[in-house]
Amino acid sequence: MNCEQVEAIVPDLDRDGAADSLERAAAVAHLSHCPRCAALQESWQAAREELRALGEETLEARAPARVEMRLRQEFRTRHRTMVAHRAAVVAAWALAAAAILVGAISSWNWRQARNLEAEKQKMAQSALAARETAAEQNQGSGTFSAGISVGDDSGDFTPLPGTVPDETEEAAILRVRMQRSSLGALGLPVNEERAGEWIQVDLLVGNDGLPQAVRLALEEN
Amino acid sequence: MREKTERAPRTGKDGVAGETRIAPQDRDDLLLRRAAKGDEEAFALLYRRHQGALYRFALRMTGSAWGAEEIVQDVFMTLIRAPKKYDPERGSVGALLFGIARNRVMKHLERKPREVALEEKNEDGTGAGIILQDSFTPAMWVEKRERMHQVRAAVLDLPAEFREAVVMCELEEMSYEEAAQMTGCPIGTIRSRLHRGRALLLAKLEMLRDVPRRMKVAR
Repeated sequence: MNCEQVEAIVPDLDRDGAADSLERAAAVAHLSHCPRCAALQESWQAAREELRALGEETLEARAPARVEMRLRQEFRTRHRTMVAHRAAVVAAWALAAAAILVGAISSWNWRQARNLEAEKQKMAQSALAARETAAEQNQGSGTFSAGISVGDDSGDFTPLPGTVPDETEEAAILRVRMQRSSLGALGLPVNEERAGEWIQVDLLVGNDGLPQAVRLALEEN
Repeated sequence: MREKTERAPRTGKDGVAGETRIAPQDRDDLLLRRAAKGDEEAFALLYRRHQGALYRFALRMTGSAWGAEEIVQDVFMTLIRAPKKYDPERGSVGALLFGIARNRVMKHLERKPREVALEEKNEDGTGAGIILQDSFTPAMWVEKRERMHQVRAAVLDLPAEFREAVVMCELEEMSYEEAAQMTGCPIGTIRSRLHRGRALLLAKLEMLRDVPRRMKVAR
């Protein structure tokens, strides 16, 4: 082992496990006959003693108590803030959940109401249609039902409700133009949607001057 | 005798520092978990367990009691602010604290490359100094104190990386493996830094001595 190698290993000689036994033996052998390296070892041992003394000097050193106080203060502040923050987050989530719930319930209610409305309309329409169909069927040839739009003057008069069949030979046929709603006054069913329409009808007027029957007449124009 | 229980570098596993047995519920990682949930006493226990070792390391590295105090405070402030920084897979709580302390020390040294000489004070305001023994005469005490001052100055004069290796392996008496683990460097790097640090330190100490031994021998 040469001086350079020994110089590298000298500080580890008195350190447990820092150098292997073979290296240690070789270094010790070198030190026994090399005064320069022996002096180096002596210097290093002195330096190590001094370092150890320096280490011992600060061995009991501790951070002052004020550090712990400051840290505890910071810890408390931090955790108080965190708790408040957490509570705020929980409250915010609860509010958001409540808002969503209210929104969902409102939406559901609105849809229900809309469906109900649509259902009602559908029912009303179907009832109307049923009424019209029934009226048509009642009118037989369909001359005066609400849905009647045309008729002919083939002679098919419909007796008016409440009239007694009479001799019609001397009866007169009177063509009049009137609103469909006026049929109601003669005791006939009228489609309300078409109540404002103008129609031409032939009235069979009896000897007593009262209409006995009625039929739709074709529009002339 | 050196205290082993507070030495973060000696802490191999959480809560098992040195020769002291620690109750399972007082393991560092559990204390940290409790502290993260707001348990102040758990935090205080963790602080008391590690502050001494961290303070000494910072003090030896910076040579400034004020700087060391600031560093210890910073380390634990970091723990308060980000307790989730601790990852059990990356090492012990002690190692995490030491790593943070090491970073803070390096920053401190970058900011203030050279501190004024260490004048450590005890809690009661008295100087730590050298304990006077019966066999010491005042002259010897003054001489020894002067020499300590020189050694301290020589250590503080080393470049930060070499100083760190010297503080860890010579003053803290860590093994090379422990120092490598703490610094996150390969063991070869620690050996190399230590070798160069020791050489510089030795040269400095020799120079400070009135009669350099090596020069005498060389002659």
